[in-house]
Amino acid sequence: MVVSVDGVPVTAGPVVTGRPGTAHGTRRRDLLRGLLGAAAALAIVPVVTASRPTRPVEGGGPADSFDEIYRGRHLQGVLAPTGHGAAADVRWDITVDGRPLHLMRRADGTWLSMVDHYSSYPTPLEAVRAAVDGLGPGERLRAADPAHHHPHMGGHHGLHP
Amino acid sequence: MAYIRKDVSTLTGAERRRFVKALLELKRRGEYDEFVRMHIDYYVSDGDGGLRTAHMAPSFLPWHRRFLLDLERALRRVDSSVTVPYWDWTRDRTARAAPWTDDLLGGNGRRSDHQVTTGPFAYATGDWTIKENVTDGNFLTRDLGRAADPIALPTASDLDWALRDPVYDTEPWDSTVTRGFRNKLEGWGTGSGSVAWRNHNRVHRWVGGVMLGGASVNDPVFWLHHAFVDLLWTRWQNRHREHRYLPAEPPGPTSRQYRRVVARREKLPPWDVTPDQLEDASRIYRYA
Repeated sequence: MVVSVDGVPVTAGPVVTGRPGTAHGTRRRDLLRGLLGAAAALAIVPVVTASRPTRPVEGGGPADSFDEIYRGRHLQGVLAPTGHGAAADVRWDITVDGRPLHLMRRADGTWLSMVDHYSSYPTPLEAVRAAVDGLGPGERLRAADPAHHHPHMGGHHGLHP
Repeated sequence: MAYIRKDVSTLTGAERRRFVKALLELKRRGEYDEFVRMHIDYYVSDGDGGLRTAHMAPSFLPWHRRFLLDLERALRRVDSSVTVPYWDWTRDRTARAAPWTDDLLGGNGRRSDHQVTTGPFAYATGDWTIKENVTDGNFLTRDLGRAADPIALPTASDLDWALRDPVYDTEPWDSTVTRGFRNKLEGWGTGSGSVAWRNHNRVHRWVGGVMLGGASVNDPVFWLHHAFVDLLWTRWQNRHREHRYLPAEPPGPTSRQYRRVVARREKLPPWDVTPDQLEDASRIYRYA
């Protein structure tokens, strides 16, 4: 059974149904900036979400955050605000044990992570759980380190148009 | 004169040693990690914006063909006798078969942390410290067959399902297409669970460890896997000689795929080469 840190069962509701794939090019450099900002934000988020359940999920409706312990790992995610305000630009800022996990989106609206890169899942939470399943025992994500452009967050070559 | 890429199970002892030695030399020079980074950088998902070249796109096959050629050229600068062998996972299907032997890629990861502790790429050798990774792990990891929830490698009939399709690829040219050779081979299915992972994608999952993630190139089996995928493209071409890479023309401005996929005669980043120019590599190498 999967529970959040305060013992409330967490249900992964359908995620925001944005129309995926627009002309807005999501560059890895942008993702890098976003994730580094998000890592700072998430330092505060646990205090908030640990004290109450995530936004009530009624009838499997959309949730905009999650916070749970899964297989001994602390999974946190928040729907990130985007500059464009368009539903298509849905982005989640995710951490596992406080370390950022970059999610990508498929055209069918499903999600995949940098750890589990060759299949996808209906919700960000399921993608994060699958990433944990894919980690070896004791293996952790890389820590966010602004001094080093980690490949799973920022492009080295940056050639994506 | 074209050189030959061989089935890894047929390599002689000397061929195995030289292939491994050349890989270790590229790693020592730092060249290998450039390949790891490049593959990470060019993984653009189709639900995010931007041009897709390496995955979830028609150019999945030519992109990896050229990527393999670059690696092979680097290997051959070290030792001109070396070529990239292929792993036919429809035949060598167990964790004890080729290429998982101590004189080649080493075996499965150990249970406690999935660390590969045998063969030339074991961390303890000091020759294969992982630098570019999604995780903080600096050793090669594998979980062959996924011990916790076993899955099987794709079968010959799974492959035949892909090879039978006479059309190279179809609109909308992404991971959601259910027809066309390219995605049937690349392996993006619909739904969830193990049926959603087919052929190429499923092999990444079967190997597990670093092969499951964005830094999959860290496991040298990546090249043997993709050499077989590349071979399958040539088999498909031989079976459907009247069919070619699609799209022939770029999707127009009204298409949602406008500027997001590479058409037959467009440049395939990061190279100055087109899918058209990569369709026939028989003057460079052939498969035995």
